[in-house]
Amino acid sequence: MLAVVVVFAIVLPFALNAAQLATATFVVIAAIGATGLNVVTGYAGQISLGHAAFLGVGAYTGAVLGADHGVTAFIWIPAAGVVAALLGAVVGPVALRLRGLYLAIVTLGLIFIAQHVFFNLDGLTGGPQGRAFPAVQLASFDFSPGQVLDLGGITIDSSGLYYFLGLILLAAATAFAWNLRRTRSGRAMVALREREAAAAVMGINVGRLKVTAFVVSSAMAGVSGALYGSYLSFAQPDQWSLLLSIQFIAAIIVGGLGTTAGPVLGCAVVFALPSLLKQLPFLPEEGSGGLSAGDLTSITYGLLIVAFLTLEPRGLVGIANRLRRTGNGSDVGSSVTPKLTVTTPEEAHP
Amino acid sequence: MTQFLQLLFQGVALGATYALIALGFVVVYRASGVINFAQGAMLLAGAYTISWLATDVGVPFLPAVLAAVALLALAGAGFQIAVLRRVSGEPTFVLVMITIGAGIAVTSLMEALFGTDPRLLGDPWGSTSFAVGDVTINWVKVWGIVVTCAALAAYFCFDRYTRWGLATQATAEDEEATLSLGVPVRRVHLITWAMAGALATLGGLFLAGFPASPQPSIGDAALRAFPAIVLGGLRSPTGAVVGGLVIGLTEVMTSGYAPSSLGDNFYAVAPYIAMILILLVRPYGLFGRAPAERL
Amino acid sequence: MLEVRDLTLRFGTICAFEGVSFDVARGELLAVIGPNGAGKSSLFNALSCVYRPQKGTVRLEGEDMLALRPRQLAGRGVARSFQNLGLVGELTALENVLIGRDHLMRAGALRGGLGLARAEEREHRAAAKLALRKVGIEDLAGRVVGTLPYGHRKRVELARCVAMQPRLMLLDEPVAGMSAAERADMTALLRRLHRDEGLTLLLVEHDMGVVMQLADRVLVLDFGRPIAVGSPAEIQNDDRVIRAYLGEELEQTA
Repeated sequence: MLAVVVVFAIVLPFALNAAQLATATFVVIAAIGATGLNVVTGYAGQISLGHAAFLGVGAYTGAVLGADHGVTAFIWIPAAGVVAALLGAVVGPVALRLRGLYLAIVTLGLIFIAQHVFFNLDGLTGGPQGRAFPAVQLASFDFSPGQVLDLGGITIDSSGLYYFLGLILLAAATAFAWNLRRTRSGRAMVALREREAAAAVMGINVGRLKVTAFVVSSAMAGVSGALYGSYLSFAQPDQWSLLLSIQFIAAIIVGGLGTTAGPVLGCAVVFALPSLLKQLPFLPEEGSGGLSAGDLTSITYGLLIVAFLTLEPRGLVGIANRLRRTGNGSDVGSSVTPKLTVTTPEEAHP
Repeated sequence: MTQFLQLLFQGVALGATYALIALGFVVVYRASGVINFAQGAMLLAGAYTISWLATDVGVPFLPAVLAAVALLALAGAGFQIAVLRRVSGEPTFVLVMITIGAGIAVTSLMEALFGTDPRLLGDPWGSTSFAVGDVTINWVKVWGIVVTCAALAAYFCFDRYTRWGLATQATAEDEEATLSLGVPVRRVHLITWAMAGALATLGGLFLAGFPASPQPSIGDAALRAFPAIVLGGLRSPTGAVVGGLVIGLTEVMTSGYAPSSLGDNFYAVAPYIAMILILLVRPYGLFGRAPAERL
Repeated sequence: MLEVRDLTLRFGTICAFEGVSFDVARGELLAVIGPNGAGKSSLFNALSCVYRPQKGTVRLEGEDMLALRPRQLAGRGVARSFQNLGLVGELTALENVLIGRDHLMRAGALRGGLGLARAEEREHRAAAKLALRKVGIEDLAGRVVGTLPYGHRKRVELARCVAMQPRLMLLDEPVAGMSAAERADMTALLRRLHRDEGLTLLLVEHDMGVVMQLADRVLVLDFGRPIAVGSPAEIQNDDRVIRAYLGEELEQTA
């Protein structure tokens, strides 16, 4: 099964046209960040509406190191992850003091504060006008648009290069998350999500675990953001918005919270959506008023979130499992929905 | 000094509007434990509906407001029936995400229907004002404060003195037990969401008043009401009022006095920073209580 | 081993329990019983550092327990079970038991994610399997807990406690909600664990039959005050206890 997926992923770019490849590349890059969000929200049950802030921090780290200081991508990509992780280490302790919905709203504040900082640090971020981001340069490979790599007859263009780099990093992130889930920290995170009060008495260091979850999540987001900015080659601060955070949340919900394949599947749906919708025949011309593709996209995100949570909280993975079960007739996988028990602050039943 | 008094008045007026919005959250949360992230969208829809009725359709202002309140109340109740009732057993996170999703959908729908340019609200007050000493008092803001007080008083009476208020409190305490006592819990939820819709409309009306106007950015302003509810402790209408005033004053005062070194538009993030600082000291808001957990 | 002196817990003006003193010797099984509302669960929660008593001391082999935070309990060798079952439904039985091993494990997220903690994982999986075997459900290791019947889930919970390698186990109504057959099985299991493993156990329990079969000594609470301490036979015949239960038969239930 895994082999099939790997082969499919490697062969895919050659079967797509330029526009489709661009979409696929975005999906792969975004999936790295989504994998991180899946750790903090899917495994550990901590709502984070602030994911876009970590993406932005990673992106600007990459830009400053790569473009302003001419550092190689071998350094600025990991550095983006590290700097974002540091921010995650600052936010994590906040999660200790605050539960559930309070935490969600504080992470909402994080987005606005981050955007405010991005808008005003124009030396680093280019202010409201935005700035250019460096193309990846690994050894002799230049990923700039227009560059082409020739591997004994097979040509890979700039998009393809980003795709494969993203794929490698995505594979690494997914492997990390998969391992995590099967070891001590992962189990503890799930216990934290389901039974926070009991978890402490069972010996779990809840505080450290929450910080760890945020650090892992934001590190992945940082790398994702750096690649994202680099691929876009130009971005403005309002890019790292609440809507972007929500797209990531939608992705992990649609894909399946806490699952391994969920982040990729969800990103495939969420980030391919705009280009799919643009092709709908009944949309009016851009700018002529009425229903724009952007509005339709947002409406669809909203409806998707509502639909999946109402009908299939286990996401696409849940649907796939259900189909497999009815096909085999055997009990594949858990029939228990992961419960993100957001402990509402005043669940006082004296 | 004049500037201070001017800002004080504006802060109170804005605070009153935030209190109104916060009350809409508290109403829903108290009854069902759901934080309605779609409140901002409902606000926007309320403001646009009033604007549309008053300017495009030509309905006189007060009936337009009443009609919009009724429409949004119906929409809120409708949302409850069509979606929330189906998922009532799910964990709170799911319900919250559903409201987020619905919020996005509605906000975008508003943009699609009404475009992004500012519109006329159609209110009779416009930019009219009177002076108290050197301080300009805008009529629309005065009415904002009045309506907020009226809404709070009405809610207070509902909560304390009516059957439905009691039913709501009982549902909030223990839904299953209340249901088993024969209380029509479904109707309680309907009423709750209808009230949320109504309050959102009124909040939207005043957020869209002079010097603002009905446009998409009101939705963001509504998000600034979140710190108000967090500060207030999520369950307490009094908390909503205090939280709203604190946030409104914080926002206006920082817009007047913040040094430029803190960046442009610092007032937009000041509420969140204030909220975070207060939460670090009191993790359950100014009025919240720590939950008692059953192990 | 466990010394409780003059423990008092109040919630505002309501007194959960008052002046509770007792000892538990190493290897002993002490049961705490009493009518509903007697304060048993509150006492339990106080001993597991969930509530802070206003007065009194608790010493485990000389160490002050009340100064601890809940998460330090495991490290000090105290394991407790939960009425609502501290189990995670979507994890397997083995994974749930492994959560009990968390405080004994060293690997952090970094080593875990990079796959560098394999040896430690293996070691603790073996210990977890052993705990499941002691509790008699080793063959259920790979089953998802959410799909297991209640009786088996309670055993998983028990296995988790055993896997924590505790000095003292606090069991909160271990046979609550069980059928007669399940109760008999659980009682036999607990007796085996107590005798063969030499575990020190403190039980809160309603079921008199179970208590009479298992306990070395019994502490009776009524309205938050201790009214008697002694062997099961002594308690059965104690006038104060009989009065407290007023009308309840203290004969052994089958």
